[in-house]
Amino acid sequence: MGKLTTATQSKSAPLLNNQFIAAVWSIVWKDLQIEKHTRQTVSLMVMFSLVTVVMFNFALETELDAARNVATGLLWATILLAGTLGLNRSLAIERENQNIDAILIAPIDRRAIYLAKVISVTIFTLLLEVVLVFVFIVFFDKPFWQPMVLLVLFLGTIGYVGAGVLITSMTMQTRAKEVLLPILLMPLVLPLILPAATAVGEMMNVVPEFSIIRSMVSLVAAYDLAILATGLFTYHLIVES
Amino acid sequence: MIQINGLIKQYGFNPVLRGVNLHVAPGAFVTLVGPNGAGKSTLMRIVATLLKPTAGEVKIGGWLMPQYSDRVRQHIGLVSHQTLLYGDLTAAENLLFFAKLYQLDNSEDRVLAALKRVGLAARERDAVRTFSRGMMQRLTLARATLHEPDVLLLDEPYTGLDQDASALLDDLLRRESENGRTILMITHDLVHGLTLCDRVAILSRGKIVQEIANGEVSGTEFLDIYAEQTGRKAGMANTAHG
Repeated sequence: MGKLTTATQSKSAPLLNNQFIAAVWSIVWKDLQIEKHTRQTVSLMVMFSLVTVVMFNFALETELDAARNVATGLLWATILLAGTLGLNRSLAIERENQNIDAILIAPIDRRAIYLAKVISVTIFTLLLEVVLVFVFIVFFDKPFWQPMVLLVLFLGTIGYVGAGVLITSMTMQTRAKEVLLPILLMPLVLPLILPAATAVGEMMNVVPEFSIIRSMVSLVAAYDLAILATGLFTYHLIVES
Repeated sequence: MIQINGLIKQYGFNPVLRGVNLHVAPGAFVTLVGPNGAGKSTLMRIVATLLKPTAGEVKIGGWLMPQYSDRVRQHIGLVSHQTLLYGDLTAAENLLFFAKLYQLDNSEDRVLAALKRVGLAARERDAVRTFSRGMMQRLTLARATLHEPDVLLLDEPYTGLDQDASALLDDLLRRESENGRTILMITHDLVHGLTLCDRVAILSRGKIVQEIANGEVSGTEFLDIYAEQTGRKAGMANTAHG
């Protein structure tokens, strides 16, 4: 590192430059390495989801048709609940030994931290969804393998995690952080989950109405863009406050 | 190198820092002491760009903060009483992560050299959570100096260290100081803090109340000054100061 000198350069930098991408990758790499060593986040989410699905399956055992009708809602509910575990774990990693301070004093764009955490938790949640889709096909005999279903799951996960990382960062310094996360997050993702569940539900029909699916997917994509833009533009205010 | 003028920090209506003035010359080693609640950690978090001041001026290398915090960050390293390390990563992976974060060239060579410097090369593949407190603190110092910062900030670095580990940390800090790094340390451990530094500043009730050069007064005299300025005893039998 060179010696410090007084300079007059501008401090603003474009978003997607090489430094930004390198910073994002370094944090994602670190999260993946931790998961490789501990296997805690994904396994915890998968175990929780399996227990939830099995319990619902037993509860609805005598009403197979009813179970099939609520399968779409159950899939999203399971993802949301298991997702909060992943988000809490992601927060715990940065809170342990106050590691977040070491990232915050690094000369990187704050937006890179937000984007990296969204990418890491999205990867973990998508791995969970791979397992869940298989389980739901077996338990409920519905065509969850359809590419459009997988696309909606992918888009829905991005929006959910984008909102989740934002809320997690806000609640990081509070005492009741684990409780506050679902309380604040669930209402915030309602405009995302309603169209996502409607789209997946429509795809489960024998003759799906594609105009409904298209408009619902558009809403999900619009939510993703809005929440990611909000996160990217406000994250520095959250972590520096 | 570090210039703090009229620094004020308030949490709501509660003032923590009430106009701190402190100048640390390039290459100097300054220790900041004070009782609990004096505002030492708040001051350190502001200098480390982790907290914004309510009023006043903080400059590092001429860069005004928080406006130019982005510029300052690549020139500061922080050692805290918290390790700021990931327990589930190995020693080498922790340093490699920070090398990537700072986008350093030859990151793997640097990591190895840093581990050798702090005597942890043989444990490079062990998870940090298996380390003793002293080993963690040495690794923390390696992390904080990996990008060769001009300014090293030390926030209670001796917390939880036994005598041997403290002596090892002393040696490492002495080496960092001899290499020309500007060091600002806050500590309760007056023995180690005063032995190493060029100058000691006493922070009491949010203000620097006295600055004393190393050798200016004896250890006993310093304790008397400390007690007089803070209204509390320093909590040690003697110091190596002077």
